[in-house]
Amino acid sequence: MSRERQTSHRVELPDHGLALSKPQSRRKILQKAGGVIAAGAFGAVPLRGWAADTINIGGLYPTTGSMAQIGVGCVAAAKMAAEMVNEAGGIKSLGGAKLNVIISDIQSDTTVTRTETDRLINGNKLSAIHGCYASALTLIASEVCERAKVPIITGSSSDQLNKGRKYTFTPFARASQFAQAQLQMSKLVSDKPKVAVIFENTAFGTSTSNGLKEQAPGEGVEIVMFEPYSAGFTDASPLINKVKASGANTLFAISYLNDLILIVRTVKQVGLDIAINGGSGGFTMPDFYKNVGTAAEGLQGVAHWNHDVNDDAQKVSERFKQVYGTFAFEYAGSIVAQTFMLADAMERAASADPQKVRDALSTLDASSGYAAMGPGSRVKFGPEGKNVYGRPVGVQWQNGDLVSIFPKEDARAPVLKT
Amino acid sequence: MLETVAQAVINGLLIGGIYALVSIGVTLIFGVVKIVNFAQGEFVMIGMYLSFYLATQFGLDPLLSLFVTMPALFAAGVLIQHFLIRRVLGPNDMPQIFLTFALSLLLLNLALMLFTANYRTVHTSYSDAALHFAGLYVPVAKLIAFVVAMALSGALWVFLHTTDLGKAMRAAAQNRDVATLMGINPNRVFAVAFGAALALAGAAGSLLMPFYSAYPFVGQVFVLMAFVAVVLGTLGNVIGALVASLMMGVAESLGIQFVGADSGLIVVFAMLLLTLALKPTGLGGGRVR
Repeated sequence: MSRERQTSHRVELPDHGLALSKPQSRRKILQKAGGVIAAGAFGAVPLRGWAADTINIGGLYPTTGSMAQIGVGCVAAAKMAAEMVNEAGGIKSLGGAKLNVIISDIQSDTTVTRTETDRLINGNKLSAIHGCYASALTLIASEVCERAKVPIITGSSSDQLNKGRKYTFTPFARASQFAQAQLQMSKLVSDKPKVAVIFENTAFGTSTSNGLKEQAPGEGVEIVMFEPYSAGFTDASPLINKVKASGANTLFAISYLNDLILIVRTVKQVGLDIAINGGSGGFTMPDFYKNVGTAAEGLQGVAHWNHDVNDDAQKVSERFKQVYGTFAFEYAGSIVAQTFMLADAMERAASADPQKVRDALSTLDASSGYAAMGPGSRVKFGPEGKNVYGRPVGVQWQNGDLVSIFPKEDARAPVLKT
Repeated sequence: MLETVAQAVINGLLIGGIYALVSIGVTLIFGVVKIVNFAQGEFVMIGMYLSFYLATQFGLDPLLSLFVTMPALFAAGVLIQHFLIRRVLGPNDMPQIFLTFALSLLLLNLALMLFTANYRTVHTSYSDAALHFAGLYVPVAKLIAFVVAMALSGALWVFLHTTDLGKAMRAAAQNRDVATLMGINPNRVFAVAFGAALALAGAAGSLLMPFYSAYPFVGQVFVLMAFVAVVLGTLGNVIGALVASLMMGVAESLGIQFVGADSGLIVVFAMLLLTLALKPTGLGGGRVR
């Protein structure tokens, strides 16, 4: 039997080359056909005069690498936002011109971000760019945009983005505002907040915790424990044991996801009656609740956008749910708002020229519609490109939903005391 | 105060049980096969992902998945010993070191590719539960893990001391050449030892899953402690590794409690240095048991 198969195989061998050439030629035909279609869609048609009817916006997001999970959601939001603008008639002052988002994968890497931003600007006629969600990447993209004189709008919170930049616009709360909001939130739980701050002993942990420490006296918040810990521990029990001994009634954990999950679970196990605020970070993502389950209930944090801050935000979130399967997380929602800010600027500039779009952005003052659907409900940029009405929103996981609880103006539910 | 100390000791013992499962595997392989398995942590990681997928795809409780992860990793261990380790056993140590190190890197990067760097957790009914008594608490998931870890360590000890294969293993550990002259087939003994060590790593993975997150680098966290425990308890000494693991868990916990939350490991390593300075052969007295 086996010999038979061997011989038949050997007989077939000369044919093999011929057999192979068939799929090859098929592939070639496909390639040619694809090329023709692609040329029709992207190359030839604009030459026939479509160019005036579409406005290119660049979207810089990591869709591969360590930050891909959030990046992919951002891309879905960016495409949905352009659709929304186009469905509403596009840019009317430009004859109903449609927005076209050109996405570039910056691979969660700073070097790639620099080259991809360059490539995106040089290879396309862009009116503006939005991205990159992660501050470390946005800082680089912003530098490139400043040099190329193309406006970039971003939800990233680093205060550095507002230093000496002319083409960078940050319509949402800054990192320095997050610490203040967090301290104020501790007063929701207790009149006399006694806060334990535990932070991982890294640059991120140290700088964030120092921000909290500096602002605490001004906010009338007492810090009863201030303790660095080694990131990536195997067991949070000894640390939580210490928190318990400190007599704190609020816990600020400045930690990455894995440590935070351990901390939250251990607090539950100890049966410690303490409010946990995880600051800003990955735990505002829908995935977090899916992973951690009910242990996430009652966990507080701060975000630059939340899906329930007003009716427009809720509408956006509903639509995003149909596209992506989850509520609009903070970056997704902020990208939709940013797209509408760009559309507003283009409408007023009646131009797709990046310089004119930039100038129109700098005089933007929106207090209604999707552009203003963030906390603060108004966008007006100061000289540093910072939204003067921007503020963070305090959020809490309640019954599997991320609910806005702070400040009063944005609160959609009372704080859940755990 | 006394309550705080007692709680710190409980916390330390419970996590020490997990360290023990990993370190016993390392010490068993070193004692019998005479190689250092740098990839031991990655097998814990594989055990965790196996448990995770069995739990999320088939609804199998992570603790019950022990009955899958242990045989699966035992088989993997036998195959690795037979097809890889056996070929580099010789007078030169370097190929062995490179082999297990390469295995570690390969598994780590494969995991990154297949599972991505995301954290995966399994939520069980007992994940957040704890027993409370006299102002102290014992998390249920960790208590189960500790009890099972001790039972498995005990079972291994009984196996090594009462069965022919176990005795053959100890004989091969004491003197490979003489053991071979006595009619012991070293390849068979090595394969079983490697398999048993990996089965323990798999068990550690399943036991961790109810209260710890799985991610590709998770093995690195535990293997560091395992290596310290192995040296502390004398290389190749199973009882030594067990005792050292529990001691380290307690030392780490007390260190975090009374020195500083970023100093837990400092206490552990200080303990290691002190032991090596005063008793260079380790707490096991240099005896391979």
